Amino acid sequence: MKASNFVRFLRNGLFLVLVVSLVLILSCAGYTQQEVKVIRQTNTWPCYIDPAVGGDFTASVVYPNLYDSLVFPNPDGSVKPCLAKSWTVSGDGLAYTFELVPGVKFHNGDELTADDVVFSLERIMTIGEGYGYLFKGSVEEAKALEKYKVQFTLKKTFGPFLGALIRLYILNKSQVMENIQKKGPYGEFGDYGKGWLVSNDAGSGPYKVKEMKTMEYLLMEKFNDYWAGWENKDAPQYVKQIGTIEAVTVRTLMSRGELEITDQRQTSENFAALDQLPNVELVSFTNGEVLNMMLNNKKPPTDDIHFRKALAYSIDYQQIIDKVFPGSKPVSGPVAFDTPGCNLNLKLYKLDLVKAEEELKQSPYYGKLDQYPIDIIWPGGTKDREKVALMVQANVAKLGIKVNVVKMTWPAICDIVSKLETTPHAVLISIPPQYAEAGSMLMARYHSSSCGTFFQGEWLQNPEIDAMIEDAISTVDQKERFQKYNVIQEKIAELCPSIWINESAIKQAYRSDYVVFPAAEAIKQGKLHNPNTGYNFYFRDFKVNPEKAQPPYTPFKP
Amino acid sequence: MKFGSFLLKRLLLSIFVIFGLSIVIFIIARVVPGDPARMALGPRAPEEVVQRLRQEMYLNKPLSEQYFYWIRGVLSGDFGRSLVTKRAVSEDIKEYLPATVELAIFAGILMVFFGILLGTLAARYKDTWVDNLIRILSYFGVAIPAFVAAIIFMLLFGYYWPILPVLGRLSSGISYPTRITGLLTLDSLIQRNFVAFWDAFKHLILPSVALSLAHIFQDARINRSAMVDNMRKDFLSAERGYGIPERVIMFKYLLKPSLIPTVSMMGMEFANIFANAFLVEMIFNWPGLSRYGINAMMSKDLVVISTVFVVFGAIFMVMNIIVDITLAFLDPRVRFSTSRGI
Repeated sequence: MKASNFVRFLRNGLFLVLVVSLVLILSCAGYTQQEVKVIRQTNTWPCYIDPAVGGDFTASVVYPNLYDSLVFPNPDGSVKPCLAKSWTVSGDGLAYTFELVPGVKFHNGDELTADDVVFSLERIMTIGEGYGYLFKGSVEEAKALEKYKVQFTLKKTFGPFLGALIRLYILNKSQVMENIQKKGPYGEFGDYGKGWLVSNDAGSGPYKVKEMKTMEYLLMEKFNDYWAGWENKDAPQYVKQIGTIEAVTVRTLMSRGELEITDQRQTSENFAALDQLPNVELVSFTNGEVLNMMLNNKKPPTDDIHFRKALAYSIDYQQIIDKVFPGSKPVSGPVAFDTPGCNLNLKLYKLDLVKAEEELKQSPYYGKLDQYPIDIIWPGGTKDREKVALMVQANVAKLGIKVNVVKMTWPAICDIVSKLETTPHAVLISIPPQYAEAGSMLMARYHSSSCGTFFQGEWLQNPEIDAMIEDAISTVDQKERFQKYNVIQEKIAELCPSIWINESAIKQAYRSDYVVFPAAEAIKQGKLHNPNTGYNFYFRDFKVNPEKAQPPYTPFKP
Repeated sequence: MKFGSFLLKRLLLSIFVIFGLSIVIFIIARVVPGDPARMALGPRAPEEVVQRLRQEMYLNKPLSEQYFYWIRGVLSGDFGRSLVTKRAVSEDIKEYLPATVELAIFAGILMVFFGILLGTLAARYKDTWVDNLIRILSYFGVAIPAFVAAIIFMLLFGYYWPILPVLGRLSSGISYPTRITGLLTLDSLIQRNFVAFWDAFKHLILPSVALSLAHIFQDARINRSAMVDNMRKDFLSAERGYGIPERVIMFKYLLKPSLIPTVSMMGMEFANIFANAFLVEMIFNWPGLSRYGINAMMSKDLVVISTVFVVFGAIFMVMNIIVDITLAFLDPRVRFSTSRGI
């Protein structure tokens, strides 16, 4: 080998590498601190910005920022005026008449009128996706009585109607109609503007769509002419929802100062690592979500109440909270404690193997347990639930109950719970309330109408419970309605159709040095945060002061 | 002429292969459990809405009829509507395919350049520390999956030494160039937008290196092995006897015949880059077709699954043909046997 040739080669190569690195470093350096107020947040994807299409967490975060509703939810579950400055309810509870705030402008400058409200309702009911179910079953029609007066007529009384109205986001009728595609499944309305609304908005909310890259991010910018004004001068000028929840990516972005708030899907280990980063704080708050072990009430041996109670008494709930879900709360029952209408006085099941044994002895399956092994299904991608299933398996083995822990993909779970014969003995699923009231949870979880969906793996099909839920939900007076919810929850706790493991806590990591996160501040002060999904991310209330940002911080260039 | 008819025959065969692939994938996607209409609309959507979507997707029809409707749409340019993105699949393909193509091209360039270079160096300095170092690195390189390499690079160059971007195709604040090909580097060069070009290039570095790493070292090993084998051949002694410089012998007379097995491998690897890009795309939030396809599989987005697999199948076919042409160029025996119709 000719050393001189190779050494020359190496020298040239090293020189090239050094030059390239220098160029890269120089091109990355030199950012001047710019005071652009931005919230960059990671989130699950896809992100639907059409308010008649999405109903998941990401969509629920985006909607209140792009759109307005007639009412706005308070942390205590009540509502306050928003687009509707006042309203009246008829004596029979079937007619709601709203007076709208005049002069509200959509993002394109058009004025919001009662016609837009009627259009938005008809659209969401026709399309039927997302939050459409809240209105399709309960609303007969909406009519524009005057330019700023709209009346909703219900098919039957629906007590939580005002609370449900937070999910009716008002679109600009003329803008949507200008952008419909004639070819579509909605007759004269073509595709109802769904194609256009994939990447555009037709709202009046405090933010508007600046850029939507369907698999990457959504960039929203402040709508300076927002009708309710901008008292909060430190509100973010931009909000960027980034479509990734990959642990390493989220951690890298946060460590480089390119992220203000993480998503809530990170593992405990990753949150612990994020907590170690400078100027990053963790906030943990509940959102009404309960982790359920749904027991098939029609399949042996979980069809027997004593067997189910034996299972309920054999679970170490506190250990699950301590080891698997730190920061989450013990259950209050089928409804989470911070959901308005929750019964906080239920007598619930705690670890007690003696009582478990007593219950098991009353079961017709006692003495034959080896013939009745049970399957506990956990959804792939939720490692923490596997741990729960394994802990349950270990505990109930002491009673002689054999448990098979089975992992399944989400589509497979949705498929098997759609039929009674294929629904497993037990499946671990977390369910949040659809609107901030106990009735939402009771209806979703225990009314017969939800059998065959992932909301209910119990197949309870109890006519008495069905009637009680329907009666409660149709009660207009809130106090009376909540009392009825309490009775229903007591009844359900007695029947023990499910095992309620814990009340899930949503964790987020955020940059506390320059971001004021209202929900985090409320938690710190022991106040209520908003239990409605997405409303803790009403960015108009956030404060961002990038001049206070400590390194590392990467300024945002719009 | 004979080579031309060989090429035509290959193209026709490829069409049959893709057709067969589309049938297999179509059936598999539909027999996997799960109701795509219900999954897309959520559990609370009224049954009539779900039924309407099932009718739109022909899910109530027999499989053969469903396939007929899909093929009819494909042949008229209508690939259907994605249940996940809620827009035409053709629009999605138009947006996401160039992102993966750009990534694959860069990864391919790295694979070819460094694979051949390292293999040649290892052969040239056989049994020296250069050769040993390259061989050791090759073992590691081949063993490390692309997504592990992606995470390591993100840690090194995104976290510890943050000199490279780790997210997406362009930084915020840089406007996307007007779309011509969809390849951001090429489009920005054409429009002389050097700021966008440089930013897009920087975004490509980490994911393309991660994607190409294993292939670089695999090709280096194959190339080294082929060159070492050919080094023993008599024609090299003859060339040295003629006084031809060693460098010319290495890079002209020895490299060309040694590339035959390497090129065969590279063709398949290039196609593999497309199929395996999804984890790298997920880590770097790269809006590519692989990631789009995986998301479709998780959501049972039937038309997207079928379309993406057909696209990847077509890419494999095209790569096969390009490899055959390249081999014919490199190896006169292939050209000769082809022209004789063997």
